[in-house]
Amino acid sequence: MKRFVPGLLLALLLGGHALAATPLPADSVYQLDATLTDQDGHAQPLAARRGQVQVVSMIYTSCTMVCPMIVDTMKLTRNAVAAPGRDKLALLAVSFDPARDNVDALRHYAAARKLDLRYWTLARVEPTDARRLAALFGLQYRQLPDGDFNHSSELLLLDADGRIAARTTTIGRLDPAFVAAVDKTLAAH
Amino acid sequence: MRAWQLSMLMLGTLLAGPVAAADYAPLPGGTFTSVLPADGKAAAAHIAPFRLRTEPVTNAEFLAFVQSHPQWRRDQVAPVFADRGYLSQWAAPDALGDQVLPRQPVTRVSWFAAQAYCESEQARLPTWYEWEYAAAADAHRADARSDPAWRERVLQWYSRPSNQPLPEVGGAADVHGVRDLNGVVWEWVDDFNALLVGSDSRDQDGADKLKFCGAGAVSMQEKENYATLMRIAMLSALKAVDTTNNMGFRCARPD
Amino acid sequence: MTRKLSLILAAAGLVALGGCSGKPAGGNASQAPLGNAAAAAVIPPDAFGPPQGEPIHAVLTSPPHVPPPIHRNYPAKVIVDLEVIEKEMPISEGVSYTYWTFGGTVPGSFIRVRQGDTVEFHLKNSPDSKMPHNIDLHGVTGPGGGAASSFTAPGHESQFTFKALNQGLYVYHCATAPVGMHIANGMYGLILVEPPEGLAKVDHEYYVMQGDFYTTGKYRQKGHQPFDMDKAIDEKPTYVLFNGHEGSLTGDNALTAKTNESVRLFVGNGGPNLVSSFHVIGEIFDTVRQEGGTVEQHNVQTTLIPAGGAAMVEFHTDVPGSYVLVDHSIFRAFNKGALGILKVDGPENKAIYSGKEVDSVYLGDRAEPNLQAVSEAAKAHAAGTLTKDDQIKAGQQLFTGTCSVCHQANGEGLTNVFPPLAKSDYLAKQTREHLISIPLHGLTGKVTVNGAEYDSVMPPMSQLNDDEVANILTYVLNSWGNPGGQVTKEEVAKVRAQPAPAPAAEH
Repeated sequence: MKRFVPGLLLALLLGGHALAATPLPADSVYQLDATLTDQDGHAQPLAARRGQVQVVSMIYTSCTMVCPMIVDTMKLTRNAVAAPGRDKLALLAVSFDPARDNVDALRHYAAARKLDLRYWTLARVEPTDARRLAALFGLQYRQLPDGDFNHSSELLLLDADGRIAARTTTIGRLDPAFVAAVDKTLAAH
Repeated sequence: MRAWQLSMLMLGTLLAGPVAAADYAPLPGGTFTSVLPADGKAAAAHIAPFRLRTEPVTNAEFLAFVQSHPQWRRDQVAPVFADRGYLSQWAAPDALGDQVLPRQPVTRVSWFAAQAYCESEQARLPTWYEWEYAAAADAHRADARSDPAWRERVLQWYSRPSNQPLPEVGGAADVHGVRDLNGVVWEWVDDFNALLVGSDSRDQDGADKLKFCGAGAVSMQEKENYATLMRIAMLSALKAVDTTNNMGFRCARPD
Repeated sequence: MTRKLSLILAAAGLVALGGCSGKPAGGNASQAPLGNAAAAAVIPPDAFGPPQGEPIHAVLTSPPHVPPPIHRNYPAKVIVDLEVIEKEMPISEGVSYTYWTFGGTVPGSFIRVRQGDTVEFHLKNSPDSKMPHNIDLHGVTGPGGGAASSFTAPGHESQFTFKALNQGLYVYHCATAPVGMHIANGMYGLILVEPPEGLAKVDHEYYVMQGDFYTTGKYRQKGHQPFDMDKAIDEKPTYVLFNGHEGSLTGDNALTAKTNESVRLFVGNGGPNLVSSFHVIGEIFDTVRQEGGTVEQHNVQTTLIPAGGAAMVEFHTDVPGSYVLVDHSIFRAFNKGALGILKVDGPENKAIYSGKEVDSVYLGDRAEPNLQAVSEAAKAHAAGTLTKDDQIKAGQQLFTGTCSVCHQANGEGLTNVFPPLAKSDYLAKQTREHLISIPLHGLTGKVTVNGAEYDSVMPPMSQLNDDEVANILTYVLNSWGNPGGQVTKEEVAKVRAQPAPAPAAEH
């Protein structure tokens, strides 16, 4: 599981040409300029994740019902993917509750859910970026007065260039069509 | 978008000053009975005091924005941020042409574009509650929704198709000093895609039904408010990247 | 409190209803339906196999026409392109309404496919539309009948695919909140899923769909009329119409057939509220596929068509004449417009029917050519140029069918029953106020006209509005040797505002 070196981040900030030689596709989510801060406190641009095939969703850590199922479904999906492709698959869950999901909360959550950080990333973004990211992903969320959220639940498959290759609303069990799409995208990678 | 363009974008959003001094009026906020109670039942919305742009963003203002932020020109914008109809009513990517008047509200802008414009003005899009609360006003009161005349004005606009040229901004001011909230264009809000979300549910069937039926998230407090409901239906029909002939926007700022 | 509660529930129902068919969330309809009760009665989805041959572009027709029968013995991929257009059209002479339509008509275009077809549905929403729209086809097995997949903003297009699993005649309608309003504005139509062997051949197939309309103004009140939500919730329609407009199936637009032909009507009911008691005056339905289903009924006079439902009726024409399609909740036919004509031409057959044309009484003014003079007069009045001649012409058209039913077309009345209006000494004697109050409030008790005594009851003509009363009175005053004169709409309005006079007749 590779991680892009922090030097890349520097290069980007300085407007260097260090990014991959091929231009970013027009429909890539990496067109969005947002900063992800993960459970270890590392901050990097969203675009730094380019180059990996990922299954992505958005959750919040205080969520007791569907979000654990989303996480489990992501694990289930990864296990269903054929080796050796599986080793190249990254999992990313971004919080849309940055007010309460600080780095500590993310770290506790990762530990409580026993997330293997070799391929899992839990991240937070600033509130405006959360709304923008959700809009790009086609996900919806709304905060309730008691602090809970109503939100849609979907898994998305991003190819190495950040295009949304597949999505599924099946939570709690495997979606064979989605797993097949993951296999296919990994094979093409 | 290339890496250098990416950094230009970051620089641009940092350095761009306000396009022209747009007018913002203060609104007191408070408790408000929304058509969309947050708990799905009857919870009132609490709106902190805020400032709202008195007029929707016009063609001229948006033109100045794309000139200083060329990544938002219709020939340069990334397709994930605006669809093919983006600013197609203008004669050129950087010129309005004769058919489009500078003082008409700008339409055919996506949510991403509207957000970016508001940021350039040190502002943001209003939330749905802020917008609904502001639009409930008429010339005399903050909440005129029980007045049949208010409802009539709103419904009159809905019942006509969008095939006429848009009026210019600058209609009569309401009690807060805000203009053109009803009867000119639809307007983006920050949480436009959060209005008809199904509640958390272990039953995936139920969640699917709720997702498009909106049964869990919308309850009509007063039957008269179906006028507002239609606005919610419109916003819920859109994705952030969509543009339509009749969707514009305005911005909000903290008090 | 209960009323408010039921209003809230009704309104919540408006939203919650939106396209929720209650079917299992299956997304892609090519998956087998999961334990759905209907599935037990239905041929499994792959019984017709995958689509074969080239994709076919469905032929869609505007009402009252129906696409030709399908002559195909294999399932195909059928592409349907339907556009939502919001447009202002007349709902009655001189009365306009903003309709929301599928394909520019009310009802929307008729769609015809074969059971087992895979339908690729493209729904477009005109860029000129103000509102988002979608479609719920009752013939679709899948979430919301397609409504979930097809929520379409103005200037956008949605696409979804379904397999037509069940044969039958199905309603489709828009399911965008508030659903009742979208339907009330005309967003409904029919989709026919033919059985694999097709339907029996008939000489004519026609498309008729009933709907109720709610306007803030009264019936036939001139000008542009907006939708009235209160009346819709109270289920008090202003118009009940076939095919969206008064006159859509009368006069030049009447359906036609010859004698000794077979006719099949695909009759839908878009609602939003009313159930239809569908009847064709002078005909008996040889066959009724009630509710558009598969079981046939025979020898039916009047069949119920539920709101959001449909029926197929078939009959054979034997004798010539004008056969009147009605909703037999009869005040809807004569006071709200639920009336259409099937004109049958051909040789008489005295053995079957020997009398005069059945329905000279029923036809009333709707069978006449368009009430052109009425709308001319309305326009002239609005422009301030109304002349007595305009009023006389308009009054004559309105007189036929409203007053002529009793007083006869020549004003002669019926001896001992209805007093004459021709050269009437009674009319000549009346004060202006009393003259006007007769059509407004009616007239009961003994009157003597031209030497003969009449003791009858004339009911108040409460369906007439002020300018109609003014025009009719002007026509009567200037016909058949009456003294002449002119009655204005303002005078009528003043009399209407006063209480009705005591029932004792004046001599």
